[in-house]
Amino acid sequence: MTDKTAIDRLLEATPQLWKGRQSSRGQPVVPTGHARLDARLPGKGWPLGAVTELICGNPGLGELSLLFPTLAALGEQGQWVVVVDPPWIPYPASLYAQGLCLERLLLVRTHDDKESLWACEQALSCSRGGAVLAWPQRIAFPRLRRLQLAAEAHAKLAWLFRPASALEEASPAALRLQLEAGDHRGMRVRVIKCRGNLPPEPAWVPGPFSVYAKQPYQTREHALARHPLSAPATGPVYPWAERPEYSGCDQRYH
Amino acid sequence: MPVTAALGILDGLQVVERDRSAEHQALQRLAAWCYQYSSQVCIPGDRPGLFVEAGASERLFGRPADLGARMERELNRLGYHAMIGSAPTPEAAWLAAHEGLHIAGKETIRRQLGPLPLTRLYLEHTRIVAMERMGFRQLRDLLRLPPRTLTRRFGPALPDYLDRLLGVRADPRALFQPPETFSSRLELPAEIHVSQALLFPLKRLLEELCGVLRGGDTAVQTVCITLGHEDAEDSRLELGLQSPTRDSARLMTVLRERLERLRLPAPVRDIHLRAPRLLKFSAGQQTLFRDTPADRQQDIEQLAERLQARLGRGAVSGLAGVEDHRPEYSWRTRALDEPSRCIALAHRPAWLLPKPRRCAIENYEILAGPERIESGWWDGRDCRRDYFIVRDVHGSMLWAYREYKPRRGWYLHGIFA
Repeated sequence: MTDKTAIDRLLEATPQLWKGRQSSRGQPVVPTGHARLDARLPGKGWPLGAVTELICGNPGLGELSLLFPTLAALGEQGQWVVVVDPPWIPYPASLYAQGLCLERLLLVRTHDDKESLWACEQALSCSRGGAVLAWPQRIAFPRLRRLQLAAEAHAKLAWLFRPASALEEASPAALRLQLEAGDHRGMRVRVIKCRGNLPPEPAWVPGPFSVYAKQPYQTREHALARHPLSAPATGPVYPWAERPEYSGCDQRYH
Repeated sequence: MPVTAALGILDGLQVVERDRSAEHQALQRLAAWCYQYSSQVCIPGDRPGLFVEAGASERLFGRPADLGARMERELNRLGYHAMIGSAPTPEAAWLAAHEGLHIAGKETIRRQLGPLPLTRLYLEHTRIVAMERMGFRQLRDLLRLPPRTLTRRFGPALPDYLDRLLGVRADPRALFQPPETFSSRLELPAEIHVSQALLFPLKRLLEELCGVLRGGDTAVQTVCITLGHEDAEDSRLELGLQSPTRDSARLMTVLRERLERLRLPAPVRDIHLRAPRLLKFSAGQQTLFRDTPADRQQDIEQLAERLQARLGRGAVSGLAGVEDHRPEYSWRTRALDEPSRCIALAHRPAWLLPKPRRCAIENYEILAGPERIESGWWDGRDCRRDYFIVRDVHGSMLWAYREYKPRRGWYLHGIFA
């Protein structure tokens, strides 16, 4: 190329160089599969070898469907997805329909937060590649940093689903997204923090059934009630606190 | 030397009775362990030692002297003290071992072993005394005499022994067959009170086990450890692995996790390690870059073992679908080596609530439905429901149903995450 200036060459040769609002180029990424989200994220995808925090006050906004394309792609590549302490029971038929590979899905059930984080770190420091999903309620900064380092060392994708209270905490995670319920356009994804850049404008990502929201099949008047899945106000506010009890093959819930 | 004489010489001497059966068992285990260096191992029934054929694997392990040094080092680590020597014939090797000699060729046996006093020879004591009375002092004195003279004086056994020693006559021996199971017991010199301190003696036993496994080209999937206490019921530990292995480091990681969580009811006096079944080992192909699906499978299995060791057996599982129309029965956990069959249902939520939760439908906006599910008349958990996709005031998409049977009412059953 003849029209390349010295500056262009310099920029290409040193990916660490901070380039203001431009995306940082050093970080390897994995496309999210959502064009609108990709467009907003630095590097155009999930940071590989880094922890991404998904802060989501209420479940059911489409927080998992945000990951489905990536998880499906990982399954295709023969990579494993480790799910540490899912808050509810993953529905196989639904996950399978979203393209996930159930053969390479590992469920880990622990007894408390401490074990959960330990399992998380173990999962992050095993093998190369793959992904880890976890739902830590509370996680101290140094602990999160350790997870971040483990993810970095083993080229993992790590997603932590965090309660709304996490917004007030500082975090060493490479990317922090806040998910908010939107309208018919879907779910609003706000970038709280990303590496080397100022957070971009929020993106709208179609949720699971946002199409229905536009033309409701049936509308009922609904009162402004408390969130039905949240625990009583005295206890933990976040519904994640509840751990479903299932462990053995035969132990189904009734 | 009688015990009384020994006690007279050394004050405070500790006398331990020789345990011949323990000795025999140790030799059996060591023979299995030696099998990793040679396919021809022999336990001579008449003396406490092992014969290992080292010449055939010279290109693999080096000269017998090198192999000997290596085995001595490794046996030392297992807690045994070995005297090792080599020679072209078993009888000569036996003598060489006591002297620490390595005799390379048949022709040098005579020269190297000649100066040995007769008491070193593997002969009956009375016969040696008789020979010494006749003025023989060293082996070379005997070798100088023609065989016929020896036969006349000492019977046919002596020239036969000398012929086998020098390699004039063949000396075939029954070969050791590696066992189908492994069992090793260790009496601890001092009682162990802390579970972490068990790591060291157990490591020794595991290394011994892995040596035996390498020898027999086998692997283990389960290892049982019994900890014997002075005045309490034995503690049992079972190390279960996802796939057969003979890697002691892998067994150690699992063991370490288990010991961390082990509460000892009483101090440990002895340890018994057992591998009930030795499985055929298949190494699989090793690739230069560890990033094939098989490698990942292996890594995940090891992860599962680590997690299970600390969190319990039920902590790690896979997920599988079950063919049942009722969502609550359409899933199960599965072992990692089980296949996972599943049907795809697109308009179903990613999460199921462990227990359907009663709800007031007035608080929700119904977006789509109904989907009728009516099933289960055959197993007594008959149900008839209409499922709807609903949204609550916070914008959460939920899966709710209206039940007609068995109880009427509205329930939340899933979350479209």
